[in-house]
Amino acid sequence: MSLKTQIMVAVVIVAALVWIANMVRKQALDIRFALSWVTVGGVVLILDVFPGIMNYLVHLLGIELPVNMMFFFGFCFTLLLLFILTVKVSKQEEQLKRLTQELALLEDRMNSRRLDKSICREANQMKGETCKKKDE
Amino acid sequence: MKKLVIIPAYNEQGGIERTVRDILEYAPDFDYVVINDCSTDKTLEVCRKNDFHVISLPVNLGIGGGVQTGYLYAFQNDYDIAVQFDGDGQHNARYLNEMADKLAKDNLDMVIGSRYIKKEGFQSSGLRRVGIRYFTALIKLVTGKKITDPTSGMRMAGREVIEIYAKNYPKDYPEPESVVAILKADKKVDEIPVQMNAREEGVSSISPRKSIYYMIKVSLAILIAAVRR
Repeated sequence: MSLKTQIMVAVVIVAALVWIANMVRKQALDIRFALSWVTVGGVVLILDVFPGIMNYLVHLLGIELPVNMMFFFGFCFTLLLLFILTVKVSKQEEQLKRLTQELALLEDRMNSRRLDKSICREANQMKGETCKKKDE
Repeated sequence: MKKLVIIPAYNEQGGIERTVRDILEYAPDFDYVVINDCSTDKTLEVCRKNDFHVISLPVNLGIGGGVQTGYLYAFQNDYDIAVQFDGDGQHNARYLNEMADKLAKDNLDMVIGSRYIKKEGFQSSGLRRVGIRYFTALIKLVTGKKITDPTSGMRMAGREVIEIYAKNYPKDYPEPESVVAILKADKKVDEIPVQMNAREEGVSSISPRKSIYYMIKVSLAILIAAVRR
């Protein structure tokens, strides 16, 4: 890896980290989710600044080209993240369904209570009227 | 004995009024509730205008979430019996009392209205019947019980099944899977012969494009329901 590419990669990562930090600051991204992204950025940055680590790992795992290792781990990480996200979406869908149902049922209870009250009021008014007539 | 008819309705402005009127006429000792699944047509207006009892979902949940709302309502209000009944005119309200009698007489937990015992009335298209027969075979394989019409949306549930469904109900294409779930929970299920009508209003939720997904999803769901717990 030439110094040029190293600098280029470092710039991209730092820019990404700044972007993530800004999203967290604006509360557009939950800090819990930002953590995993910051970790990934940090790891890649370290590998970028110290290429020796990468060469050592590649040699250790018997992979021919360092770039293959990056693709492999990057792909695994992306798949894992996608899977975790679909699990989260499933859970949220269930929660959203429950909320929707309970909200609709609550609204129904309120409507029926209002109906009961208005019937009650009408009944009282009728009583009132009959009372008045008697008084007269 | 409190009895409830659950009418899930998504864009049924044309059929909903007749459906409710039929229930009021043929099954007067049943309460009913229309579950409006955030229809984009005038279903809600039609219900309000006629002063029908309607529970309106603020966002669209699909057939599973809609029907489950009905079971949740039945559970919270201590109904002894709840029956699903389509809002598009496919089901006949005159079978409701017969189903309730069967439920009580045979001490069952669920009664399904089946088109395929007497093979009368609307029988669905040929390809769909093949699919339904396949589900019958698959359910027989995993539970040992023969359900001739596992996709029937006309199903009456007792107290225990109401509770199970209030807690857990599939989201899409729920019928075959949910029957397996209660058979696996050792509940007693049986069928009575009914005639259904061809759909007068609305469109089927299963378009040709979705039928492949439908077959695969429901098959998997049946197998998973069979090994659950």
